[in-house]
Amino acid sequence: MKKTILLFALCLLLILPAAWARAEQPTLLTLYEGPRTMQSSQTAAVTVNGYDLFVYDVMVNHEHIWNANTQPTTTPMTYFDFEGRAEVEIRMPGLPQIVESAVVQPYAWGIEPEVQGGAVRFTITQPGQYTVVFNGSVNKALHIFANPLETDVPDPDDPDVFYIGPGEWVMDAIALTDNQTLYLSGGAVLHSIISVANAENVRICGRGLIDGSDYPAWNQPGSYARVPIDLNHSKNVTVEGIGIVNSNCWNFNSYSSKNVTVDNVKIISGRQNGDGFTFQSCVDHVVTNSFARTWDDSLVIKNYSGSTKGITFKNMQVWTDLAQSMEIGYETDKGLTLDPEITDVLFEDITVLYNFHKPVISIHNSDDAFVHGVTYRNITVENAMMQGDNGNNKELIEMTLQNSSWSTVRDEFGSIDDVLIDGLTVLNTVDGKIPASRLAGQGEDNRITNVRLKNVSILSEPITDLKTLKLRTNEFCENITIE
Amino acid sequence: MKRIFCLLLAALLALPALAACETIVTIVSAPEQTAPQRPPCFPDPADDYIPLPDTENLAQGKPVASGAHTDVYVDRNVNDGKTDTYWESKGFPAEITFDLQGTYTVSTVAVCLNPSSIWEPRIQEIAVEVSPDGETFTQVAAPDRYQFDAATGNRVRIDFDPMPAAFVRLIFTLNSSSRTGGAQAAEICVYE
Repeated sequence: MKKTILLFALCLLLILPAAWARAEQPTLLTLYEGPRTMQSSQTAAVTVNGYDLFVYDVMVNHEHIWNANTQPTTTPMTYFDFEGRAEVEIRMPGLPQIVESAVVQPYAWGIEPEVQGGAVRFTITQPGQYTVVFNGSVNKALHIFANPLETDVPDPDDPDVFYIGPGEWVMDAIALTDNQTLYLSGGAVLHSIISVANAENVRICGRGLIDGSDYPAWNQPGSYARVPIDLNHSKNVTVEGIGIVNSNCWNFNSYSSKNVTVDNVKIISGRQNGDGFTFQSCVDHVVTNSFARTWDDSLVIKNYSGSTKGITFKNMQVWTDLAQSMEIGYETDKGLTLDPEITDVLFEDITVLYNFHKPVISIHNSDDAFVHGVTYRNITVENAMMQGDNGNNKELIEMTLQNSSWSTVRDEFGSIDDVLIDGLTVLNTVDGKIPASRLAGQGEDNRITNVRLKNVSILSEPITDLKTLKLRTNEFCENITIE
Repeated sequence: MKRIFCLLLAALLALPALAACETIVTIVSAPEQTAPQRPPCFPDPADDYIPLPDTENLAQGKPVASGAHTDVYVDRNVNDGKTDTYWESKGFPAEITFDLQGTYTVSTVAVCLNPSSIWEPRIQEIAVEVSPDGETFTQVAAPDRYQFDAATGNRVRIDFDPMPAAFVRLIFTLNSSSRTGGAQAAEICVYE
């Protein structure tokens, strides 16, 4: 008996500290009421750890071909902050059929949701972006942005801080100048645009949404482009945590700016020219842990006035309803500058949830720039559904030195050199076959050179030769290798 | 004894597990609102706008003529009653002339840009001339530099001694904005 008690005591000594240590870390959850002027989605109802979330209906677009007068539809989106363990329960009263199956993306999370009686349940333990697709259809897919808990919230009493609390707010535009901070609280919906022009040391942060729904699409009569985040000739700018929805044009623009850091910014767009993160002639930009579902190019680098150097996109999720997922070009010298370059570009740990239209990886050097030093590392394409335009432009990878309707320089061409694609995994394709890829140089002095592919896998098949990859090249491509 | 011990053990083990499920929730409440509002941290600057006469704007909708303009920013935008459209000349000097379609004793001209704060502060140099016939003009306000600032409505007011006029001409000779090489005006207003 004594022996048994001793054994139990020993077990207690071993187990209890660990158990109590865990017990000391309850789940911390921050929820944001929606504005009283808005109604939570009738399509989706979501709870986390038993608490109701406010669900927004935001514009998306399932028309996978350009249409200047397209009409977007909506999909549900919600967000919260947490640390610990979040048990998510979803009901979809807005779907025409009861939910019988559900998939959580990215697949790499390894989440197998329980589906019972029309309810979907799963548990998450890490902040991140989660997309739930119901009954095998992307229609009304639910985007859940599970943010980390906020840190370093600005002081509302600081005279350099503009503090926008929860609620629905409207004003024409907000212009930030040197050393100013704009805080957009979770639960806030701001109908406005934020301009940072010729400014430095600017911070935009919070969990709220910038919502462009109060303006018609930019190309409609009487309307004009209202870019929600617009950086122009600025430096040392940080943007963290916010969401951008319903923009009437591009979403996050940076032009001729330097030292820009973006983290945990979520973009969903469904209207004309709804590009995601688009940087023109910028230097030293780093975008991490962010999300872009877009009705035009998702991640974009161009030259509008001067060269581009040092752009990193890391740990991103992309859903491309229209155009390209990771696009360099087409404009590479719109400003007609001397010796334009695009160099030192890194796309790393990118998950393309869906691409429905044009190439996933593309360099369209449509002017006369020297594009070089571009790396794509650990790219996962969960659903490569490119339908292209009239059978064209549906490649997986496309690099070209050709004029286009976006060209400014029409009588000269540039070159592409030193491109590395290390780790490209395609899980599903539109027809169950390997999609084609294409590289096309322009002439003896305008070549595509030194493109290396490594660790490529498509439909679970390791690809070790260019023929299997279905990569077409012309005579102006040199040293294109795969290993 | 053994049973009590086992129960105690089970309780000790179960309690942490139960505690581990605890959620400490913070709910950020929304304020009472019935319509979207202007964020309180951005007070409406309209109270600080440069005041304009409350009489009729004699230029609105009247014939207007200017030299070359930039892109789509034509001169008819300058008296359409809207500050979200504007005229932008192609270079300097830039003249813009209004036919008032009648003779009035004018004493004030206002030049307005879009009041939005994304129109950063700038200086424009402007002179004003008037004419009874559109042929012979008399200067009523010599060239001077005027500060445009969203904090005061992005507008300037040029007052001068009252003069009979059927035509009013503004001559722009400078714009400090780095975004353009021409004159800019969303609305130009003429008052008695």
